[in-house]
Amino acid sequence: MSLTREQIVEQLVGILGEDNVVTDEAVLRQSSVDRFRRFEELHGVFTQPLPAAVVYVHSTAEVAEVLKFAHKNLINVVPRTGQTATEGGLETAVANSIVVDGSRMNKIIKLDTYNMQATCQCGTPLQVLEDQLRALGYTTGHSPQSKPLAQLGGLVATRSIGQFSTLYGGIEEMVVGLEAVFPNGHIARIKNVPRRAAGPDIRHVVIGNEGALCFITEVTVKIYKFMPENNILLGYTLDRMKTGFEILRQVMVNGYRPSVARLYDPEDADYHFSHFSEGRCVLIFMAEGPKAIAEATAAAIKEIVARHPECQEVDSRYIQVWFDNLNWDASDVAEERAEILETKNIGNTTEISADWEKINVIYEACVERIRREVPDMTLVGGHSSHSYINGTNLYFVHYYNVVDCKPEEELTKYHLPIKTIIVEETLKAGGAICHHHGVGKYRTPWIDQEHGSAYYILETLKRAFDPRGIMNKGTIFKG
Amino acid sequence: MIAMNILVCFKVTPDLDQLPPDGWEVDRAALTVETSFVKAMINPYDESALELALRFAEDAPGPVKLTALTVGDRSADRYLKMLYALKFDRAVRLETGADLRFTPEGIAAAIAAFVSRNPHQLIIMGRQSGVGDNAATPLLAAEKLGWPCIAHVTEIRSLQEDLLKVRAQADDGFLSYAARPPLVAAVGNVPHAYLRVPTLKERLGVREKKVEIVAAALPAEEGAGCTLTGLDVIDRRRAGLKIEGATPQEKAGALYELYLKERLAKL
Repeated sequence: MSLTREQIVEQLVGILGEDNVVTDEAVLRQSSVDRFRRFEELHGVFTQPLPAAVVYVHSTAEVAEVLKFAHKNLINVVPRTGQTATEGGLETAVANSIVVDGSRMNKIIKLDTYNMQATCQCGTPLQVLEDQLRALGYTTGHSPQSKPLAQLGGLVATRSIGQFSTLYGGIEEMVVGLEAVFPNGHIARIKNVPRRAAGPDIRHVVIGNEGALCFITEVTVKIYKFMPENNILLGYTLDRMKTGFEILRQVMVNGYRPSVARLYDPEDADYHFSHFSEGRCVLIFMAEGPKAIAEATAAAIKEIVARHPECQEVDSRYIQVWFDNLNWDASDVAEERAEILETKNIGNTTEISADWEKINVIYEACVERIRREVPDMTLVGGHSSHSYINGTNLYFVHYYNVVDCKPEEELTKYHLPIKTIIVEETLKAGGAICHHHGVGKYRTPWIDQEHGSAYYILETLKRAFDPRGIMNKGTIFKG
Repeated sequence: MIAMNILVCFKVTPDLDQLPPDGWEVDRAALTVETSFVKAMINPYDESALELALRFAEDAPGPVKLTALTVGDRSADRYLKMLYALKFDRAVRLETGADLRFTPEGIAAAIAAFVSRNPHQLIIMGRQSGVGDNAATPLLAAEKLGWPCIAHVTEIRSLQEDLLKVRAQADDGFLSYAARPPLVAAVGNVPHAYLRVPTLKERLGVREKKVEIVAAALPAEEGAGCTLTGLDVIDRRRAGLKIEGATPQEKAGALYELYLKERLAKL
């Protein structure tokens, strides 16, 4: 027999103490959603089942106790840290869930500048870690737009990526080792070694699990020397996305690794760079690292771009100002909220990836369909911001005016149809439907199509590690 | 019913918030600050003015014709096109080629001259912009036209056919005016007046509409109200001290003793 809300709360208080169990209704409402439903939330409309409590954990042992309790009593658990999720991963799909908040586990355990790695608890804000490292002359190399707000546990759980990924890689290439707690209370520590061939890489069971398999409590990431004095910024305008993708491809296949390699379509460029883009696409690079490498990388990029006469170089100071204003902090979020409420204009993003052959096909198909099929659009565009030797990502940006519908209808009238178009066109072309935001709850319907015959491996993980299905129901896995 | 003609004046300015404290490049000889690499935006007070005008037009009992006017270079044209998409009837740019930063008299004269050739009953504009920061243009335009001017306006509504209800912020509250046009409304801090966003369809619908570009010389004598003689960066950094303490209570106690006690005693 399932426990009542009161019984759940009572037992959580017994495990964690009264101060760490929050049952205030306003907090529960806010904790039932993430940025995916922010239009509803901004209007004070909450349609998701309310959790029983938000609990603050302070140690791995406490996490283990809470998970064991939930596991035994079949209570859904939603793990979270910095709360910057954008894809519904933090929504409480089940009534009386426990939202386990790791943000108070925020100690930097060790900055090891000899072995070039940093170990932190899950609630360590990336900005805090990065600031401490930079003061010592080092960097994580990880710089997502959410850096001022996001915390290490969530970044690893969602397979996050940063703006300098073309050089440093995504979080999966940064994580050395970690600690995670599984639903039965088992604490698994994956040790910090440079590489090993001791079976499959088990880090990848944890990285990107989105709280659907386990709760990440500690993370060790690689660090790098920070040499901003060598940064070289380059910017160009050009006519066609196809040309831009080809330039990115040539840079990558010829072995160059700028930290930033971004291509904006005219709509997205107009949003960010209207002061110089003049209706054209914009291509941006940053070369960094040791001086000789940065210079060689920049020189090679210039040579590659010069082969495409439609490209016009712009003053690098345009790019520098953009670079200095990249990230979102709490004040930007607050301003966005006021603006959405006032204008009823809201923007979201959907990120996918594909190989070089397919990426432009997907871009053109999605933009054309969204413009044609979805009403009240004010901006449909996108950019590529993370490139690899065999392909790149596309970050679709879609803004619309919410017209003639209730706040709770916004998703079905606009956001989900847009997401559906992007997912359908990506699957049709053979791309990946999620590049770095995670699956959340709204791309789950396509997760088996995404993986095809390999879905067997993914669903077996769920059965093995979360056999009672208590971890973040509806996220990644169906049902 | 005769349409009410409303002129909304706006200025495109650099978003100075994008400049980091060490990013202010001042050319003391040329008397300029390098802002050309910073993203542009509609001056926030003017953005409110534009939105208030759109709301007025929506709610007015009779027909309203909206004209958007800016004095500046072609960087403003994309904003003027956007205003067409938001249903402004005319989008006009006065091209002067002049340095407009410290010439509120000249700009006011240009606006007044435009109004004398193109009759309007109501002018709405932001009270000041970040560049130049003169806060004088609406007042000077009203003076040149011989019209009344209401400052710090936060709301404009139609009361009767030829009577407006204008709400304005004062030191200790709000003032409500019943005002008969012609009138200049200098828009101040409006709590909720982000400019609405046109849809792609609306933008597509005005793609062929041309911005009206009018050559306008700023009268030399009008620009001479003040002369820029020097530019210096003001260092606004303030010293900070981190209060140490074992507990929040201890830190709060230190804050009280060091900083608050004396100030509170003076209240």
